[in-house]
Formats: sequence, structure tokens, C-alpha cells
Amino acid sequence: MTEATLGVKPPKTGSTLHTLRTKEQITGYLFVLPALIVILVFGLFPIGYSLYMSLFNWRVTKGAYVGGRNYLLIFGTWTNLLITLAGIALIVAAFWIWSNAFSSLSNRKTIAKVVAAAVLIVGGVVFVTGWGYMFESGNQNFLKSLIVTTYYAVGTVPAEVIIGMILAFLLYQDIVGKDIFRMMYFLPYVTPSVTSAVVFQIIFSLRETSIANMVIGWFGISPQRWRFEQRPLLNLLGVDISGFLAGPSLALVSIMLYGIWSFVGYNTVIFLAGLGNIPKETYEAAEIDGATKAQMFRHITMPLLSPTTFYLTLIGFIGTFKAFNHIYVLRTPSAGDSVITSSLLIFDNFYKANQYGVATAQAIVLFVVILGLTLAQNKLMGERVFYG
Amino acid sequence: MDNLAVTQPKPAPATRGKRSPFYWIGRVLTYAILIIGALIFIFPFFWMISNSLMTLGETITRQLLPKVPQWSNYADAWNQAKFSKYFLNSVLITLGTLAGLLFTSILAGYAFGRIDFKGKNILFGLFLATMMIPESVTLIPNYLLIRGSILPIPGGTWLNKYWSLTVPFIANAFSIFLLRQFFAQIPKELWDAARIDGADHLRFLIQVVLPISKAPVMTVLLFGFTGSWNAFQWPLLVTTNDTWRPIMVGLWSFVNEAGPQTHLLMAGAVISLIPILIIYFLTQKQFTQGIATTGLKG
Repeated sequence: MTEATLGVKPPKTGSTLHTLRTKEQITGYLFVLPALIVILVFGLFPIGYSLYMSLFNWRVTKGAYVGGRNYLLIFGTWTNLLITLAGIALIVAAFWIWSNAFSSLSNRKTIAKVVAAAVLIVGGVVFVTGWGYMFESGNQNFLKSLIVTTYYAVGTVPAEVIIGMILAFLLYQDIVGKDIFRMMYFLPYVTPSVTSAVVFQIIFSLRETSIANMVIGWFGISPQRWRFEQRPLLNLLGVDISGFLAGPSLALVSIMLYGIWSFVGYNTVIFLAGLGNIPKETYEAAEIDGATKAQMFRHITMPLLSPTTFYLTLIGFIGTFKAFNHIYVLRTPSAGDSVITSSLLIFDNFYKANQYGVATAQAIVLFVVILGLTLAQNKLMGERVFYG
Repeated sequence: MDNLAVTQPKPAPATRGKRSPFYWIGRVLTYAILIIGALIFIFPFFWMISNSLMTLGETITRQLLPKVPQWSNYADAWNQAKFSKYFLNSVLITLGTLAGLLFTSILAGYAFGRIDFKGKNILFGLFLATMMIPESVTLIPNYLLIRGSILPIPGGTWLNKYWSLTVPFIANAFSIFLLRQFFAQIPKELWDAARIDGADHLRFLIQVVLPISKAPVMTVLLFGFTGSWNAFQWPLLVTTNDTWRPIMVGLWSFVNEAGPQTHLLMAGAVISLIPILIIYFLTQKQFTQGIATTGLKG
């Protein structure tokens, strides 16, 4: 029975109940309506309209219908896209075989693992081939921006999660001034990103007297150009690699350092809450059984924190793929495209170059990439997460 | 209802007596790491304030502290760089956004949490899905929308208008979700009692639910405030002149227009940070707890 039956007047007939229910329904819709309108108009309608725009030669005003041409500009040819996607599918298949191997008989495990490894290698090769073709005939700027975004994500999210976990774990001990520490750690996260990025502009400036150069000077390293340096960090360290394997430029590394600085506090606070939810009794029981601190951390804290870790990794990745403000403020012309992430490139294509159709097509590809990453992480990490 | 009170770790009972040397080494290391971490987190703030009080020369030669604090830098930034204008704009934009946000999210949060209607779950899922959409996708159509290029809108165009900076932000899935979680936990007996007294949903919401929902409403206000105050990408797009330019875009345009006037720039940065700092220090517990619980439930 629903709560409608508990009304003021006991329902004598079915129709009274019916009116009550209808009234309840209408109230519900009326209450949701204001929010619904705003979210429909500014949150959901734009997705459909973006799709629509991406099919036109849209430069400020709508031009001719071009079908998938704006997408073709990204990938070069549909074949390239198919090869790349096939590569991804093979990699996914490899993970599927691998994880199923654990649930099957033990003598088949080895075979399955070998097969998985083989499929993984083939998938990797196919993916790289497809990507290479796309890079040759497609939009290099956009594809490069995806790589820059990936560098940025891979360079920040794990560091943020690990540092956040360490700080939270240390803070969770019996610490004097715990609240003050937590408040200080969280401060960068609440600070407006434009404000703090403006400060980091000076910290990472190319002046010999800048803070960044002062700090590396303590270690006897000569002054660097930081935000203005488009050469990869590895090259500056003397490693002679070129291409994507050389990794992020020093300019991008500067932005990563900013990203880590501003986001670690958030992770710390969430981890602290996660730690607070682990029952004390678990530790006490383990202590009685003679477990060491390290064992407790490995076998109690880590597994029970895994939903938090998963959540933070997920929103961390989504966040880095969406990141805009601080990268926009910290970028410099001389760093070139080595710091242009996809969201920046899309914004430039739209705002500066007035390529609305091209920009919406790129935005939709970025959206699909984010969706794919989310799904992959759900599958990959979601299954290993231990939900108490 | 206790989901907004994060379980605070209780200090372990101090065991008296002998501690091994390892214990003390561990303690020292722990504090060392925590303090070094804190210094790294705090340093940019110190640097910002210190630089904002320097002369231009001092900012270049990298003094740690100004010889004589130049308080006039703040007056210069406030007047010369028009931070007074941007600041007031941001205050008005934030207030308007918050008013709308409270209205839409309290009603919707209540409906999703406490009223049964057809399609509720689908609608709620749709709302939540909007949290994952990158701004890059919605930005361009929204720009055309407020320019009046897609549909005719009141006033012809909302470019450089107050409405373009507030209306798109007066509802968001996050706030609705946060309030829904809280409203749904309110005991059903309260509603039954109110019904017997003849109250409808609206009266129950205003007279019973809201008075006991100060904590989640505060959290919505806090996040709404920071979101609105920190907004950058969208205002950058829709404000082409000073009329409604908010503080973050003002700060950014100062960077580009003023050239290397680090001391004034830092003074502007401090000004842009002050409201956030005040709110954060006043409501610090609320803030971190709100983020911890909503974060975990997301």
C-alpha cells in the first residue's frame, strides 16, 4: 500500500484514492518542473544540438549539410577509425579472457593467460597501426590534444590518489592539530582555479629568480623555462627519445604540478571520511590475531578503502578530461601545442577560429572517449572493488 | 539523517608506558611529512599575499617579504583595474544564482525523495547523467542559445546580460541529488502526522522539512557559492564588455592587459579570494563534511 491510503479521510471508494494518487503525481511533476526546464534547456538539449551542428559546415552561422565530414576530418578515413576501434576491442577481449581465466579450471589458466597476452599484443599493434593512420591523414591537432590530455590524466590522477591516501592515513593517526592540517590541505581545492593559477604563473615563470627555479637550484639544477618550455621533460633530463614516448613537455609538467597541488586535498578529505567508516573492531580483532601495522594496512585498510579509491580515480579521470580553467590560464604561446588539451583545443576552434561544426564534432568525440574511459574503469576496477 | 555527520576518528586511547624507539621515529616522520605537505599547500597563498604588498621591483628580485608593505597596491587594484566593478558583479551574479538554485533544487529534491510519480527514476537518472557531460559539448549550443540564434529569447540576446550568467546555473543535478538523499531519510511518521493535520506537500516541505534540513541546504549554498564565484569559461564567452564581467574573468583580463604588474595582479588575486576564504573559514567543518559525504555517495 502506498502512503496515499493513510490520508486524512479514509478512502471510501476507489475514485477518491485515484484522485489522491493523481494529485500526488501532479504535485511531483510541478515540483520537478523548474529544475527540469533548466536542465533540459541548458544540459540535455545542447547534447542533441551539438550532434546536429556537427553535421554541418557551421561557421558562426549554419552552412551546408556535410554529413560525417567533420568527423572524417578528425579520423582521416572511416577505415582508420575502424582499425583503431578494432584494436581497442581486441584489448578489451584480452582483459575479458584474462579475467575469465581466474574463474576457470587451474590447468586452463595458463593457456588462457597466454591467449590473453597474445590477443593483447595483437590488439595493441592494431590500435597503434590505426592510430598511426589516423595521425597521418586526420586532424593532428586534435589527436595530439587527446595525447596531451592523456599525459595530463596519467600524470596527475594516480599521484593525487596516492598522495591523498598517504596524507589521509597519516592524519588519521592520533595527530595534534588534525583539523588545522586538514583545513590547510583542503584550501587549494576551494581556491578559485583562476586565482591560484595566476599565482602559479609567477611560481613557474621563466625568470631565474622564480620560485620553481629557486627550488631546483637547491639541487644544483640550472634554471628552466617551465611554462614556456615545449621540450619534453625526458629530453631535458638527457634521455634522447622523440615522439609521443618522450612524454609531456616541461610546460605540461608545470601544469600537472599545479593540478596535483590543487586536487590532493580533496582526495585527502574523502579518504579521511572513508577511513572513518572502517569499524575500529576490525583493527582490534586483527591486533589480537597478532597482525602488524603493515599487514593491517595491506589487508584491512586498502581493501576497505577500495570503493573510495575507485571513486576518486574515476572522477579524477573525468575531471582531467574536462579540465579547462587552470590550463587556459597557465598556458603560454611558446609552449605551443604541448599543453593544449582537448577541451582547450575545442574552445579555441570555437572561440578563436569560429569553426563551430568542427568544434562540436570534436567535443562529441571527446565525450565518447570520456564515456568509454568511464565504462572501462567501471569494468576494470569496479570488479576488484570490495564493498564491505 | 546522520549521513551528514562524518564519523570523526576518535583518538586511540593513549597507552602509557614504554614505547619502542620505532614508535618515536614513526611519530617524527609522520609529523615531518604532514608539516612539509602543509608548507607546500600553503606556500602559494603566502607568496600571493607577500607579493601583493611588494613594490614592482621587489617582485622581480624575489624578496620573501616586502620591506615596507605597500597597502596602496590594494587601492590601485580595486580602482585602476576595476576590481570594484567585477567584485560587485560577481556578488550580484552569485546571489541571483543561489536564489534560483535553492528554489529549484529544494522542490526537485523533495519530489525525487518523497513523492511517487511516474517516470521518477528515469528522470532522476537523466538528471544525474548530466553530471558526466563535459562542458565542451554543451558550451557551443548554449552560447548560440543565449545569443538568441536558435530560438527567439526575451530581450533579443542575453550576451552581456545578467541572465546569461545566472539562469543556466539555477539548477544542477548535484544539488538536487544532495537534497534528495537527505529528504528521503526523513521519517515517514512526520509526513503521516502532517497529513492528519491537513498539510499538503508544500506546507510539509516549508514547515517541517526545511527547518530540519539546515545542514544539507547550507552545503548546497556553499557549493553553489563557490561554483558561481569561481566560474570562468562560460562568463569569458558571454561577457564581451565590463557591464556584467565577473571577478575571475576580470582577473584574467587584468593579466592580459596590465602586463607585468605582478604586485597589482597579486592584490587582485587576493581580493578575488577573500569572499571564498571568509566563507571557507566560517563553515570549514560543513564544507569538508559536505564534500566527504556527497563525494562518497556519488
